Amino acid sequence: MSIDKSGQLRVHRGRIAQQKHDQLLREYLKQHLNELIQQKELIIDGKVKTQIATLDLPTLKYGEDSPVLARGGGQGQGSGGGGQGDDEIQVLGGLLGGDHHGKELRVELDFDEFVRLAQEVLIEEIKLPVINEPSRSGEIETDEMPELDDLDRIGLRPDLNLEETMVQSLLRSVRERGVADYDVEMAHDAWYFIEDPTDHQNHRSIEIYVLDISGSMRGEYLSLVRKTIFVLWYYLERRYPTNLRRYVVFQDVAEEKARDEFFCVESSGGTHISAGFEKSMELLHGATEYDKFLFMFTDGETSSGDFDLAKKRYEEALGKFDLVCYGHVNPGGRGVGGFSEHVQETSRRHTNATFANLVDVESIRQAVADFLAFFKSERVGGKRWKRTARSSSASRR
Amino acid sequence: MEAYREVIERIEALAHDRGLSFDPVYFRVTDSDQIAEVASMGLPNRFVHWYWGGAYKELVTQQAKEVFSILELVLNTSPSHAFLRSTNTYLQNVLVIAHVFGHVDFFKNNHWYRKSDKNMLNHAELHARTIRKYQDQYGPEKIEALLDALLTVAGTVNAFERSSGERRKRLIYHLEEKAPLEEWERHLLQIVREEAEYFDLIQRTHVINEGWATFVEAELLRDILDTKSWASLSVQLSNRPAPYTIGYTLFKWIKGERGFDATLGVRTYYEDIRLIDEILTDEMVRRLDIFVYDPKEKKKSYDLQQVKEMLISQKLHKGEPHIEVEPGAHHRDLILIHRDEERKLDAKRVGLFLKAVHSLWRNPVRLRANGKTYSYDRRGLSTS
Repeated sequence: MSIDKSGQLRVHRGRIAQQKHDQLLREYLKQHLNELIQQKELIIDGKVKTQIATLDLPTLKYGEDSPVLARGGGQGQGSGGGGQGDDEIQVLGGLLGGDHHGKELRVELDFDEFVRLAQEVLIEEIKLPVINEPSRSGEIETDEMPELDDLDRIGLRPDLNLEETMVQSLLRSVRERGVADYDVEMAHDAWYFIEDPTDHQNHRSIEIYVLDISGSMRGEYLSLVRKTIFVLWYYLERRYPTNLRRYVVFQDVAEEKARDEFFCVESSGGTHISAGFEKSMELLHGATEYDKFLFMFTDGETSSGDFDLAKKRYEEALGKFDLVCYGHVNPGGRGVGGFSEHVQETSRRHTNATFANLVDVESIRQAVADFLAFFKSERVGGKRWKRTARSSSASRR
Repeated sequence: MEAYREVIERIEALAHDRGLSFDPVYFRVTDSDQIAEVASMGLPNRFVHWYWGGAYKELVTQQAKEVFSILELVLNTSPSHAFLRSTNTYLQNVLVIAHVFGHVDFFKNNHWYRKSDKNMLNHAELHARTIRKYQDQYGPEKIEALLDALLTVAGTVNAFERSSGERRKRLIYHLEEKAPLEEWERHLLQIVREEAEYFDLIQRTHVINEGWATFVEAELLRDILDTKSWASLSVQLSNRPAPYTIGYTLFKWIKGERGFDATLGVRTYYEDIRLIDEILTDEMVRRLDIFVYDPKEKKKSYDLQQVKEMLISQKLHKGEPHIEVEPGAHHRDLILIHRDEERKLDAKRVGLFLKAVHSLWRNPVRLRANGKTYSYDRRGLSTS
């Protein structure tokens, strides 16, 4: 009898194999992203069900209707020969063969993992700029040096304000010892240059996503909306350490939804775009976040009686949000009409409005480019609102 | 590990007293992650393939969610290597230690294991190195594609089969002998086949092996554990996965009817099929709640004969469709026949399977199944 005390033989082949598996899985899912993203119920129990068997070797298997050897779920007394019913049963397939390999399992991705995968595919497909990590750590990678035009007692050593530090040291010396001497003690005297906190690049965003779920919103429509949102998330998550997200769906009336509900919508009813704007402004109540975003997705076919009210609410929203992005979801590629036409016109006159005619994946690129212009103007101008009003060039199709 | 030294020695002595014998066992305490790694790959140093990666990921996830966890692992090698999970309670690891002695006794004494490769750790290492060498030589993509195809047909091995005529009916042996492969490709096929045979033996004796280990565990610990721990063990024994409880029930019955020495004889000369065929009774089928389930009719059948046939057929072909190479076919054609015509194959997989076989055979491949003939050649899949 020997006991091995060394604890050696540590191998990580399992993880290497998993990386290989995941790489193949990603390739597979990438090819099927379009089908997956259109599922009416995208998230179930926080997971995206892919309906794809775990990546498997293409061994032969029996069809699903073949009789199987099974065992009662309760593992108690059998109910006797010829019993009927589909109560809990445990199929004894691989279990009897001692096969630990999960051949029968279906891939369920965490929603976040699915989003990352979708972003990877979309950013590449749409040829959008990639922002390198670190992402959510509170820093973003930028070529611009931040303007350090404020002072604080806490800061980075290279940003030490020597002049102020020495003044503080002198004052302390006089105060404590009655002599005007430069006897710097960093813990007591140091002052640092910092970014103006009100102009700080890293803070929290509030993002409100509003989705029209009236009758026609399904299939390709959902696909375009979700793809746009995932790409927006890619940039927003790299821009802000924290993203506070709220979700609204509307048809005749608007209501707030949890994230998972937002991605499992049942389309029905008429369209009152005004209700969507109203609800989103309601959600801003008490919000102190620095950047407030509204992302509205609709086909613009608001009910006839709602047109004027919707116009009014849109104007109000422009006054309350830092940026209002309006996505006219138009997978058929028809001309822009109805309320969307109004928004398209209005957005040209407002600095904090963008309009996107979402007809295909290419138009997402345009929409996101407009959206990114918002950040660019912040960085370059220092003042956030000094930017040229633009609307998506896709909107001029 | 020190904490277990005394109890290991005590259980080992008890095992010897009961007439058990085994090669030296190296116990090591390790984490769940490493156990998942070895369980998914089959061996700690096996060549890396994406397929084990999926299984590993699933096990790690299940363990993290505490849905399922592997409490122990033991390798059929000489000396044996057994892994105790560090997160197990002391009592759990005591159960595992007793269970391991059951397994290693089975490895040493069961007739079918006499020809098993006890040096598999070294061979697996050598295989992994060879594969890495070929990857450098021929490119990783080419090797991966070849391994995918080989692992797809690897399930057709039979570690029990001694007759060369019967072996030739099995796809992988037929390919090894007749497929127009390069020398290094055939070498890879042999590597995959050898490892598959190593695992095939374990699969074909899964019920008897787990049953025996569970039986030994209960027998040895009855004398060691206090009443409370014994009660807790008894509950656990009835809640284990099917191979454990089925096998355990059979061994308990043998001991009750024929005495302990008879159990030693069964562990030496039987494998799953013989054990099930000879020992399983109508009463056990009902008590274990095992049945044949027809999903179309949503009907359960507890008929002993039906259950036995299904169990045996699962053991014969590991739950996979029974495919044979048809003898006497033209030397360039490969004709496969599904022998259990009553059961339908999943048609979606047929094309992918034949594509994999075609990549090895490199000439037209036919499969008779589902009342049709599926053909795969350079143009792809066709049906007639």
